[in-house]
Amino acid sequence: QEVDMQAQAETIRTVFSDPKNFNVKHPLYSPWTLWFDSPATKGRNLPQTPSTAFPQTPIPQTPGAASGWMEDIKRVISFDSVEEFWGLYNNIVPPSQLPQKANYYLFKEGIIPAWEDEANKSGGKWSIQLPKEKNRSNVDKMWLYTMLAAIGETFDPYLTNPEVPPGTQSLVTGVIVSTRPQFYRLSIWTRLAPSGADDDKLRERIEAVGKHFKTTVLGYNDSQKLAGPLATDVEFQSHKDSEKKGKSTRKIVV
Amino acid sequence: PLNLQTANIGLIPPALPSALATARHIEDINRITYPEGIKSPKVELNVNTQKGKFRYDRDFLLQFMNICKEKPDHLPPLDVIGLEPSDTAHTMSRGGSGRSRASNSMS
Repeated sequence: QEVDMQAQAETIRTVFSDPKNFNVKHPLYSPWTLWFDSPATKGRNLPQTPSTAFPQTPIPQTPGAASGWMEDIKRVISFDSVEEFWGLYNNIVPPSQLPQKANYYLFKEGIIPAWEDEANKSGGKWSIQLPKEKNRSNVDKMWLYTMLAAIGETFDPYLTNPEVPPGTQSLVTGVIVSTRPQFYRLSIWTRLAPSGADDDKLRERIEAVGKHFKTTVLGYNDSQKLAGPLATDVEFQSHKDSEKKGKSTRKIVV
Repeated sequence: PLNLQTANIGLIPPALPSALATARHIEDINRITYPEGIKSPKVELNVNTQKGKFRYDRDFLLQFMNICKEKPDHLPPLDVIGLEPSDTAHTMSRGGSGRSRASNSMS
């Protein structure tokens, strides 16, 4: 019996012990889908070849702006293992080489990267805007570290507290990088947003996500001020507040 | 009568499935031993996770970067979805000289 178990253990080959003939891969906590859009994706349709014959992009129920936008955003690929993530990473265009006005959206599978989605509509986003000239050489690493915190499921530090019940859902639904003529923007989308002063627990948890993003992922100091010409601090805003353009809205800054 | 199923297999030799496509998902991360020099995922990230669902720290994940380079089988051709590197990212930093050169050669 003992010999059998030993033999069985020996047949486990990870990519580290056998890069060509590994027989196990590292599952992610959740499967993820990468989406992309840019001015060049507008009006393009994917050819219906077997390699792209995955289910059609579902259109959110909300009519109007969202459905038109959903025709322009392209679903690139879904993956559920660490090994597949790196295969994708090593064969795709990094943010510094994307055309202007392009966006990558990396969201948990089944969640559309729009605030209309059930998982997003009560949520909000942490975001930072970085001047392009100063950050051209940093943005690829920042986006990589953002993706790694997302797929590694380490963005929501509350979850690794041993007292939190197993299976508690992460606040994070997806991450986005955007290229604009003058700046880059990185965003972390959350399922929930604190609605008022009575929401202290959620606010604390949301703030922990923002702090983790600012310090561990982006590499800034805890108290560092980042706002400046074309630059913002790491700021949180609920999607509901983002809609009220022009009106004064509350932001959380870390 | 012709057995279509066998005929099909004979006509189109199936591509060898990649290790990536056939590898099983790890069920118990604590049973995996890594070669010397490879760090295991941080144990404290996985104290309260469920079977087959793991959290991974960045240092652990970065170790795969230079090993897993194979293009995923189901990655669509990027140019078809308009996802192509922009050369303007390198040339347009000052005065858009890249663009004016391009328009000169066109005329």
